[in-house]
Amino acid sequence: MSITVESSPDGATKRTGQRVREALLGWAFLLPAMAIFVTFFYYPLYRLIDMSLHRENRFGTAAPYVGPSQLVDTLSGSDFLEGVKHSGLYMVYTVPLGILLGILLAVAANRRLKGIRVFQTIFSSTVATSVAVASVIFFTLVNPEVGYFKDVSWLSLSNPDTALFSVSLSSVWQNLGLTFIIVLASLQAIPTEVEEAAALDGYGPVRHFLRITVPLISPALMFLAVVLVVAALQAYAQIEVLTNGGPGTSTQTLLFKIADPQGIRPLGIRASMSIGLFALTAIVAAGQYALLSKRVHYGD
Amino acid sequence: MATESTVTAPPTAVERPRPPGSGLSIGLARAGWYISLTLLAVVVLFPIYMLVIRAISDPISFINAGQPLHIVSAQWDVFSRAWSDAGLARAMGVSAVATIVIMGAQFMTSVLGAYAFAFLEFPLKKLLFAIVIGTLLLPIEVTLVANIQTVRSLGWLNSVQGLTFPFLATALGIFLIRQGFLGLPRDLRDAATLDGFGHIGFLFKVAIPLAKPVIGSFLVISFLSAWNQYVWPRNATTEGAWQTVQIALRTLTTTRVDQINLAFAGAIIAALPLVLLLIFFQRQMVRGLTAGAVKG
Amino acid sequence: MSGVTFDEVTKRFGDTTAVENMSLEVADGEFMVLLGPSGCGKSTALRMIAGLEEVSDGMLSIGNRVVNNIPPRERDIAMVFQSYALYPHMSVRKNIESPLVANRANRLPAGERSERIDEAAEVLGLTDYLDRKPGELSGGQRQRVALARAIVRRPEVFLMDEPLSNLDAKLRTQTRLELVELHRRLRTTFVYVTHDQVEAMTMADRIAIINDGHVQQVGRPQEVYDRPANLFVARFIGSPPMNTISGTVGTSGTGGNVATEAGVVAVAELSGSRAGDEVVLGVRPEYLKPRDPSKDDPGAGGLRARVENIEMLGHERHLLTRVGNEVMVARLDPALPPPSIGDEVVLEADAANVYLFDPSTTERLGSGTSTPTATVVADG
Ligand SMILES: Nc1ncnc2c1ncn2[C@@H]1O[C@H](COP(=O)(O)OP(=O)(O)O)[C@@H](O)[C@H]1O
Ligand SMILES: [Mg+2]
Repeated sequence: MSITVESSPDGATKRTGQRVREALLGWAFLLPAMAIFVTFFYYPLYRLIDMSLHRENRFGTAAPYVGPSQLVDTLSGSDFLEGVKHSGLYMVYTVPLGILLGILLAVAANRRLKGIRVFQTIFSSTVATSVAVASVIFFTLVNPEVGYFKDVSWLSLSNPDTALFSVSLSSVWQNLGLTFIIVLASLQAIPTEVEEAAALDGYGPVRHFLRITVPLISPALMFLAVVLVVAALQAYAQIEVLTNGGPGTSTQTLLFKIADPQGIRPLGIRASMSIGLFALTAIVAAGQYALLSKRVHYGD
Repeated sequence: MATESTVTAPPTAVERPRPPGSGLSIGLARAGWYISLTLLAVVVLFPIYMLVIRAISDPISFINAGQPLHIVSAQWDVFSRAWSDAGLARAMGVSAVATIVIMGAQFMTSVLGAYAFAFLEFPLKKLLFAIVIGTLLLPIEVTLVANIQTVRSLGWLNSVQGLTFPFLATALGIFLIRQGFLGLPRDLRDAATLDGFGHIGFLFKVAIPLAKPVIGSFLVISFLSAWNQYVWPRNATTEGAWQTVQIALRTLTTTRVDQINLAFAGAIIAALPLVLLLIFFQRQMVRGLTAGAVKG
Repeated sequence: MSGVTFDEVTKRFGDTTAVENMSLEVADGEFMVLLGPSGCGKSTALRMIAGLEEVSDGMLSIGNRVVNNIPPRERDIAMVFQSYALYPHMSVRKNIESPLVANRANRLPAGERSERIDEAAEVLGLTDYLDRKPGELSGGQRQRVALARAIVRRPEVFLMDEPLSNLDAKLRTQTRLELVELHRRLRTTFVYVTHDQVEAMTMADRIAIINDGHVQQVGRPQEVYDRPANLFVARFIGSPPMNTISGTVGTSGTGGNVATEAGVVAVAELSGSRAGDEVVLGVRPEYLKPRDPSKDDPGAGGLRARVENIEMLGHERHLLTRVGNEVMVARLDPALPPPSIGDEVVLEADAANVYLFDPSTTERLGSGTSTPTATVVADG
């Protein structure tokens, strides 16, 4: 005499009613977020593709369909490739140096000394700056007219060979606070027993750092790498404030060309470049995901 | 922030008994650490120090004096001039309004979304979650060109809606708070069910109060990213009156050289809210910035 | 009015069947303990009563009402969790009040609420702690808050899932008494889940012993101890557990005997088995003792054993021996001089207290039923 739940009509309707109510509540809770995501994240992706298939006329009065040729031409053109190169260089300048300096500051400040909190606060202080504020701060240092270091040749903003590097230092400095805080927190999360066991094993300080400490903080370092790579891809304010893309086009990163503050590129070109940036973002994300799931030591 | 902090080494107080003979070397090592730390602190603080003295000094006199490391012909009224004449007051207001709107909306959309994914069962849940994850590949930098067209066609250039709408929901908030909700003990949820809490009651009376640390961390991130935004407000505003403070700073750097210290003073003013945040909410800020990076 | 009835109830989680075809009747006002090893499905059974898990199959009733599709808050039950599940951000008063206010539809007036809270706090000695947060209480006090939160709603059925396991030994003994006292006072149905047979034996009106999702036996504590339905119950109830060894039935004189690899054991009651039958013989440690070597009688039978250890417990001694491939425990009279470790001894079982089990079904011979009994044995 087994009575199954489903065979009880009264119960079945009640249960269904509950399910329906829960589903409606779930959708209602997600509705606001989904509305934003669709309107400002996914619809623009469609719009970008659409815009890349149309070319504006000289006066911006009409944009006839031109097919994928504009997209292909843009993504293989020198303007786009130069932007990619500058964005890549910006990563090369900022990511390794940023991580190394973060480790340096954190290792220095991770010890029991009187007054160490003062140093920790100082090292964290750049998190109180926005990119724009950091850019103005570096304006006082490297601006060709009024900067404190305006005569130091390897920091010169007037020289196309050094300008991008000089700009990138403002990012390195601005990121110090964040990298310091994250590395310090991960150093402090290492269980003391691990440190003690390693000390008993007789590692010297350097080998201890390379063999024990670095593997244990590697998740945090990976996270930082992700954050810094993304920040480099998105660098914009520094360039606009410090060089406005110059001299020539020597500091025009990909995003700078897309945002196009001087208004020299047609919409279809900028949309095509945006699709290129999207692809780069996706590649970077995929690479990071692969790295993250393979190489990094995660505690249990 | 205003002055370079010089840290005097503490007296070589003995914290615990030392083996004889090693006292000197420990003292030396400690002095070495203080010297290194101080050097690093000088490197970190030097740009800020320069900003401050350059803001206060008369720009022309400072250059003519050969760019010394101290204030030249102090103009203490530079801050009030930047605040009122240079329009920073209005820009700070625009930034404040936009930031509050963004934080409030992100709090709401993230908490509700997180709750749905953590505690509710409904059709298409997986798909909707994938849609949330997918937005991580579509930062505002990628969608900028198209979104500006959308905002323009809505007539939202130079408006609070235009400054805020693309940021009213964020995947990060949904993820973080969902994690916080999932961390609530199962027994507690069951107890609440038996007590008779419905979903709304449970959300407000139990889930949100208990997820406060995570929500706090998220709000810190939300505040920082909203206040510090640059690319979007730069493109979504065409009139000076709607510039956020970050954009106003850039405008100030393009003024005449003899007025350039207005930009420097402006940078100090623009950073003040974050400095205050760092002073009063240091722990929450560290927790927010390390959320996702460091476990425990 | 409100007992709980499981009628062939099954609960599946995907491929796992946590509770299978469970039939069990908990009488109104009864203190029923669901006892079994970890993972046997007792929590799942309890959570089905609460409505926290849906019933996959069968019918579950509280009182006369089938509750399969009744949401938890309409079931008139209260539950105490192992972790207590107190709201850490609410005061003790708010915690106790929670079930009275959480459901807007049937919220009580404020006056009656505070009366009930005060009464519950009084009963559990929490009056002085009402304004504290759970974090400021000891483990025992938190446990009481959880109880107070349960009694304040005056439910028809109390459900408790290992509520004592987070207390230290002394507090646990004390709270056991208090729970029995509380039950006596409230006279409502208690369904209490534990893996600790001592809790079950000391508190229950009846015990349902569960293994692997199946009810093995239901009965009063003395009954399941004296007349275990099968080998599982025999080994699970009693500490140290019942000794078992397999052998073959033989007959001799008035009763019978069982020949094992380690010797022959006399049995007073053959329980329907016949000579030549394979059986599992069971004897509790208190009915097993080493023969006094001075009265050694080589013809008398018994189990040849080697002493492996002797556990001193103060009031008694446990002799751990190896008998063939089995470990057997005998309870020693502390007055007698103990053997030494390594000694060869002969263990004698009290013939009147030997159990025989069918090795294929594992059921006790002569237990009267051919399937493990899950039906109610009339009380009294
Ligand atoms: N929510 C669940 N999902 C899947 N399996 C479960 C779930 N809850 C319990 N189980 C399984 O059901 C069985 C019985 O669990 P439970 O009732 O908690 O046992 P007990 O309380 O007796 O220790 C176990 O095998 C357990 O793994
Ligand atoms: Mg359990």
